[in-house]
Amino acid sequence: MRYFTRAFLSSFVPMAAVLLGSFWVVHRLVESAARNSFRSSLRETQEFMARQHAQKEWSNARSLRVVAENPALKAALQLVRAEPANPDARATLEDQLRELNQTLGFDVLVAAAPDGRLLAGLLRASAEYMLLRDEVQRPPAQGLWLTGRGLYQITAVPVNLAGEHIANLSVGEPLDLSDFATAVVLEHHGRVVRSTLPEVSSAEIEQALRHCPPGEGCDVRLQNATYHCLPVNLPALGRDYRLYSLRNLDRATAPTVAFLRRTFVFAWGGAIVAGLLISTLSSRSIVRPIATIVRHLRQAEHTGRLAEFCPPRWSIRELDELAQCFRRASLAVREADEQLHGAYVQFVALIASALDARDHYTAGHSHRVSELSRLTAEAMGLRPQDVETIRVAALLHDIGKIGVPDTILQKPGKLTPEERAQIEMHPSIGRRILEQVKAFEPFLPVVELHHENWDGTGYPHGLKGEQIPLAARIVHVVDAYDAMTSDRPYRKGMSSQEALHILKRLAGSDFDPDVVAVFSGLDPGRIRDYAPQTVAATASLCNLLAHLGTAGPGAPAQQKEVSHDEPLVSLVGSDRSGARPGSCHRL
Amino acid sequence: MRRGTRFSRSSAAPAAAALCLLAFRLDAGQIEGSVIVTQRLTKPRVTAAADGYQRGVAVELASDGDFDWLAYERSHVVIYLEGRLPAPKNSRVAVIEQKNRRFVPDLVVIPAGASVSFPNLDPIFHNVFSLSRTRSFDLGNYPRNQTRVVTFPKPGIVVVGCHLHPNMSAIVFVAPNQWSTTADADGRFRLADVPPGRYTLVAWHKRAGYVRHTVDVPAEGVVPVQFTIPLGNLEGELHSGLRREEP
Repeated sequence: MRYFTRAFLSSFVPMAAVLLGSFWVVHRLVESAARNSFRSSLRETQEFMARQHAQKEWSNARSLRVVAENPALKAALQLVRAEPANPDARATLEDQLRELNQTLGFDVLVAAAPDGRLLAGLLRASAEYMLLRDEVQRPPAQGLWLTGRGLYQITAVPVNLAGEHIANLSVGEPLDLSDFATAVVLEHHGRVVRSTLPEVSSAEIEQALRHCPPGEGCDVRLQNATYHCLPVNLPALGRDYRLYSLRNLDRATAPTVAFLRRTFVFAWGGAIVAGLLISTLSSRSIVRPIATIVRHLRQAEHTGRLAEFCPPRWSIRELDELAQCFRRASLAVREADEQLHGAYVQFVALIASALDARDHYTAGHSHRVSELSRLTAEAMGLRPQDVETIRVAALLHDIGKIGVPDTILQKPGKLTPEERAQIEMHPSIGRRILEQVKAFEPFLPVVELHHENWDGTGYPHGLKGEQIPLAARIVHVVDAYDAMTSDRPYRKGMSSQEALHILKRLAGSDFDPDVVAVFSGLDPGRIRDYAPQTVAATASLCNLLAHLGTAGPGAPAQQKEVSHDEPLVSLVGSDRSGARPGSCHRL
Repeated sequence: MRRGTRFSRSSAAPAAAALCLLAFRLDAGQIEGSVIVTQRLTKPRVTAAADGYQRGVAVELASDGDFDWLAYERSHVVIYLEGRLPAPKNSRVAVIEQKNRRFVPDLVVIPAGASVSFPNLDPIFHNVFSLSRTRSFDLGNYPRNQTRVVTFPKPGIVVVGCHLHPNMSAIVFVAPNQWSTTADADGRFRLADVPPGRYTLVAWHKRAGYVRHTVDVPAEGVVPVQFTIPLGNLEGELHSGLRREEP
C-alpha cells in the first residue's frame, strides 16, 4: 500500500463516517421535528373543526327553540296527547311536521313524548318523506343515529306549553364524514361502523386503534404507512360513538422529508467532496517530502551520481531532520565519489606525464593540449561534463605513442614511409590500450580520431567533417598548435602568431573552421600561459606527484615549491631547434 | 272609504224608508250590476315548494301560475243592501268544507240568524274557531267526516281559522238581511225581489273595504249598478275592510 493511500484513507474514512453519522442524526431530528409540527397543526385544525361543528349545532338548537314555539305544532301535540290512540291525530301531527319541515328542511324530524314514546316522525328519503312509526327503528333523542339510509346527527329541544313539558322535538341532519378535511373513522363500542379510509379494512383499523390511549392523539401503522390519529370531540356524538380523524403522516410530510433529504444529501456530498480535497492535500503534504527524497535517490540511481541535495524547509521537525540527514549522507557519498574521481584523474595525468617524460621535446605536451582543449571547449559553450571529458581525453590523446619506438619518435631526419606508417599507428594503439579499461570509454574517440582531417585526408579512418567527433576536432587543432609552437630536435618552435596563421590557412582542409575560429579567438594571454616555454613536462610530473600526496594538509605548500622549478625545465626544452613546417601532420 | 263611513252614519233614513216599503210587498224590483276590479288586491300566497326542497338551498316560492286573480277578486266581493230588512223565511245552512287543508269556500254570505256547517273532509284533524267580536267560537279538534254547525245571530264579519293549520282561513259574512250575495267570476250579481224604494247598496271586499251606491228600486224593473273597486289608492289602508265589521 502506498503511503499516500494510507495517509489519505486514515484521514478521509473517519471524517466521512463522522459526517455521515452526524448528518443522519440531524436529518432524523429535523424530520421528527417536522412531523411534530405537522401533528400540532393537525390538532389545531381538528379543534377548529370541532368548534365549527359545535357552533353549527348551537345555532341549530337556537333555531329549533323558535320552532318549538310554533302554536300549530303545540296544538297538534296537544291533540295527539288528548287522543293517543287515534291514527288521524297522529296523521295530523305528521302532516304538521311535514309542513313544518318544508321550511326547516331537516332530514329527520321527530316528536316524542317526554317519556320517550314516539309520537310522530319523518325521515327524508330522496325527495319523499318516510313516516317513522316503528318504535324500534327510531332515532335516539340526542346523538348519532346510524340507519341503513345513513348516519344522522340528532339534536333535541323540549316543547313546553304553559310551563308544561309536553314533548321533545328532535331534528337530524346527515353527518357526512366526507365533509371532514381528513379521513375519519367512526367507532361504536370499539367497532368501526364508518370509515372514509380507502382500502383499509375495518378489522385492521380496530386493531390499530386499540393501542391508542382514549381521548389522546397517537400514531398508528396502517398499510405500511404512519397515520396520525386524533379523536374528534363533537358533543353530538353521544357516549357510544367515537370519531377519529386520521391523516397519513408519511404522505403529508413527504415533501418536507424529501426536501430535507435532498438538502442533507447535497450538504453531505459537499462536505465529502471538501473532505476529499482536504484529505488529498493533507496526505500529499505529508508524502511530498518523502517523495522528493525518493525522487532524488531515484535520479541518483539513474545517473549513478549523487547530486547535491538542497531540501526545502518543510517546517516539520522530523522531516527537516530526515532531509538534513539525507543531505549529509549524500554529501559524504559525494565527497567519497569525488575523491575517487580525483584519484582516477590523477592516475590519467600520471600516465600522460609518463608519456611526455619519454622525450624532452614533447615534455608537457599532453598537459598543454589538455588545458588548451579545455579552454576551447569552454569557449565553444560545451557542457561542463563534456568539457571535462575533452580535458581528460586530451591528456591521453597520445597514449598510443607508447607503442612507437623511441628511435622513430625521436628521429631527427626525414622519416621513411614505414616509420611514418608506424607513427600513424599511434591513435589505434592508444585506443587498443584504453579499450581495456571500461572507464576510459568516453575518451576513445579523441584518442583514436585526433588525426582525422576535416577534408577526410587524415588517419586512421579518413573520416570527414561532422563524422569526426567535435572533441577529436578540437584536440586535433590544439595538438597541431602545440606541436608547431614546441621546439623539436630538428627545429625551433614557431611563434604563436605564425602557428595561428598556419591554422587559419589550413582551416577547412585539415581543421574544422569553427574550432579554428574559436581557438584563434581565445585570449592570447591565456594561451600564453600554456605555452611550451612556461610549462614543462617535469613540472607536470612534479605537479602530479604533489597531487598524489594530497592526503596531508601540507600538499598545497609542496605544490608551490614544485612550480618554482618549471622555468628551469622549460629552458631545457626550449634549447631545441630546427623548425619543420607542416609537421603537425606527423603528430 | 270615507264616503262609506259617511253613509253609515246616516244609515237610519234609508232603513226607515225600507221598512215603510215593506208594506207594499206586492211590488218588487231587481238590482242587477257588475263589479269591476281594476287591480289585484289579495296578497300573493307565500308557500314553500314542498318537493325537491333541500336544506341550505334558497326556498323557491310556488308561483301562482295562470290563476286569474281579478276573477278571484271579483268573486270575493260581497253585495248587500244596507238596513235591517225582514228576515228570510227559510234560513238555509251554508257549508264551509275543510278539504286539503283549506276552507272551501273561503267566503260565504249568510243573513243574520243563519247557520254554517263545517264538515271535515280531510284525513286529519281540524279545528274551527273564531275570535271575531261578531261571533267568537271554538269548535275544538275533530276528525274526518265529522261536522259542526255554528249559528250567526248578529250581522258582521266573522273570520274563521284553524288552530292546527294557521294557513287556513275563511270569512263568514253575516249580512243584515236576505238581500245579499257575492259577485260571480265575471263580476255580475243580481238581487231579486227587492221591494221598491231607496236603498244603499254596498259592495264589500276584504281589502278594498266598503263601496256604497244609493239605488232607487222601482216597483217593477231592473236597476243597473256598477261598482269599481278599489276606489282610491289602497296603500296604507290594508285590512280596512275587516276593521269595520259592522256592515
